[in-house]
Amino acid sequence: MREQDYSGVLMSSRGVLTELLWAEKYRPKSLQEMVNQEDIVKRLQVFVKEKNMPHLLFAGPPGTGKTTAAHALAHDLYGEDYRLYMLELNASDERGIDVIRTKVKEFSRSKLPVGVPFKIVLLDEADNMTADAQQALRRLMEMYVDVTRFILIANYPSKIIEPIQSRCAVFRFTSLKREDVVARLKWICSHEKVVCDDKGLDAIYEVSGGDMRRAINILQASAALGEVNLSNVYKVVGLATPAEVRALLKTALFEGDFLKSRDTLRKLMVTYGLSGVDIVKQLHREIFSSEVPIPEEIRVEIADYLGEVQYRLVEGADDEIQLSALLAKLVLLGKTLRQQPPPARPSKR
Amino acid sequence: MSLAKKLPWVFKYRPRRIDELVNQEEAKRLFIEWLNSWFQGKPGKKAVLLYGPPGSGKNSLVEAAAKERGLELIEMNASDYRRSTDIERIAIVSSRGGSLKSDRGRIIVLDEVDGVSATADLGALESILNLIENTSHPVVLIANDPWDPKLRELRDACMMIEFKRLTKTDVKKVLRSICSSERLECEEEALSYIAEKAEGDLRSAINDLEAVGEGFGKVTLATVKALLRARDRDLNIFDVVRKIMISKYAWQAREASTQTDLAPDELIKWVHENLPRQALDPDDLWRAYEALSRADVYLSRIIRTGNWDLLSYAVDMMTAGVALSIKNEDYKYKWVKYSFPETIRLMVKTREARQVREDLARLIASHLKCSTSTVKSDVIPYLKVIFDNNPEYAAKLALGLNLSESMIRYLSESKGDTIVRQVERFRQEIRKTGTEGKPTSTIPESRPSSKRTEKKEVKSSRGLEDFFKKQL
Repeated sequence: MREQDYSGVLMSSRGVLTELLWAEKYRPKSLQEMVNQEDIVKRLQVFVKEKNMPHLLFAGPPGTGKTTAAHALAHDLYGEDYRLYMLELNASDERGIDVIRTKVKEFSRSKLPVGVPFKIVLLDEADNMTADAQQALRRLMEMYVDVTRFILIANYPSKIIEPIQSRCAVFRFTSLKREDVVARLKWICSHEKVVCDDKGLDAIYEVSGGDMRRAINILQASAALGEVNLSNVYKVVGLATPAEVRALLKTALFEGDFLKSRDTLRKLMVTYGLSGVDIVKQLHREIFSSEVPIPEEIRVEIADYLGEVQYRLVEGADDEIQLSALLAKLVLLGKTLRQQPPPARPSKR
Repeated sequence: MSLAKKLPWVFKYRPRRIDELVNQEEAKRLFIEWLNSWFQGKPGKKAVLLYGPPGSGKNSLVEAAAKERGLELIEMNASDYRRSTDIERIAIVSSRGGSLKSDRGRIIVLDEVDGVSATADLGALESILNLIENTSHPVVLIANDPWDPKLRELRDACMMIEFKRLTKTDVKKVLRSICSSERLECEEEALSYIAEKAEGDLRSAINDLEAVGEGFGKVTLATVKALLRARDRDLNIFDVVRKIMISKYAWQAREASTQTDLAPDELIKWVHENLPRQALDPDDLWRAYEALSRADVYLSRIIRTGNWDLLSYAVDMMTAGVALSIKNEDYKYKWVKYSFPETIRLMVKTREARQVREDLARLIASHLKCSTSTVKSDVIPYLKVIFDNNPEYAAKLALGLNLSESMIRYLSESKGDTIVRQVERFRQEIRKTGTEGKPTSTIPESRPSSKRTEKKEVKSSRGLEDFFKKQL
């Protein structure tokens, strides 16, 4: 549970001198405030009306409103103090079987307070739970179903074991549409009295890939640079992508300097705290960038190996060793490139 | 940076004169007598076999003697003279010379003779015996363990000189003098700890001292303990790793892994650290890393499934798999300096910064209701943009999110000071204008401020605990 210092000083602010992350500030509190996923919202509102629901599995890409919908549902069921009746866990941070056996079990089997139809256990990023933790969870879902309902949230529902899936009503959240994202961003800008133009908002949609949380983060950072326009959005995205990721490609592939690239890798992991999978994903974006002059067939070869590395990492392999192997592969692939001058940047057709 | 600064300390602080060598008085006396007998023309035995535990001064004695007498050293170690042809090549050098007046005197040194395998390096031992018989220069053989039956004939052909295991006091004496030469701040207990761990191996003790000194700038008990926990006791871990890399046969590489009590998941880090220094050829490096990453995959499967039977495959791949991947002989047997796993050092060095980062990630994760890893990859980078570019706005966020000073500095190295000062100004302003005590009422209702909900969350979390207590 969170512990924060709410000193009198801070609380006495009139709100002018303090600011929050917009992703939190503008998060819908109740279902009716949600502006997308209309079909899902309608079905969830039925649960609220009937004060009953099955176990739920919310699946879909990041930033499409899964967590928001779960909180809004609980809010509408229990009112402002909904967190009294809900246990929230983020399985990425607490994914072991111990957490299921202790925290979750204890909460699930506790008796119902008067006037409450059931309690809710919210397991965010449940696809990061280990297989045995999922098995343990499945038992709890059966045993305490009369007093406790589970909401599981996952990017990849296939990583949730079959028996759990079959016990849940599955809700598939779809990627947000361009107009929905842009409209929401515009709305925020008008509340914040920030100047924005359509090109800038469009660009945010493009780079965020329909992930609302990321879109709002980019919006806020762009606004902090003055106004939300194309050049500020690109500036933010450029600054937020560690230059070291591209440096990895440069030193390994084009310079063939393995030791230097491994030092960069360590900096990314230790100083920036990026996980191996984060780095693999960012590299994946980089290798298809037109600004990186790699022969086309080598882009594909790198992508193939990135996929292998990510699979191994998800299986539990060591970030540093697997990514070092990737760097060794890049050094080897670059051998022929280094013997001839790098190709000129392809001109735009 | 001068060249001398970059030299590993074990080389930089090699004794230049025989009397600088710590302890080993008996060995020194015998060696000088033998060497003198050579130059007086009548050696009793043409070769000596210096033996004793690692890091007790065998190599140092030979080098100091050569320096003192102006002799040229012709050195080979086990990896160089695996084949009898290699030894014959030295034999030619050693039988030549002497006739030319201008020619400097020479000493032939064969290191690690106990590493010569009787079966694998067929003919090598015989060639050494030939060399001793025909040499016109002093021959020095060096071994840790001379009592291997296969070395019987060599023992007979040599004068045996024993080096004793150095005491802790000996080792500490040398460490202390290096510390003062390097102007390094050293705690006495730290030196004791290094000396204790080294168990008489001065070379490894100096390597440890250097690793800690260079990594942290000072040598305290805490830094030493952090870095040396992984240290191997009975065989120098550097030697184990070197053995793995230069092995010609699968069994040699696998055997090397048994000579350390380092667990496989530690050993793989050492191989990983030093592999790119030995495998410079891109093809070799890739093959070796493929083997190493397979080893890592097996280790992860062991963790996941609890099937310890898989361990031997992991070890196969990180030893033999690596050794046999390095094919380019130009690099394979080249002597290079090995290092401690850099990541361990980095982790120790950056502990505080990482703690700040984790606290920050947890704080923001609780605001945004997402995982800390999402915060690290998807939120903190954008916060950094804000903090680097708009200090005033950053200060408002810092107040709203209740960030600590170190978190602010983590988010912007360049503007950290400015933002911290700005936060302080805002705080004073709030103190002046705001009402003390009951604050919530002053927050305008229309703003979707989360201050209120925040407060409720805290309350409700307490409520949840009460809830638990009641129900239990």
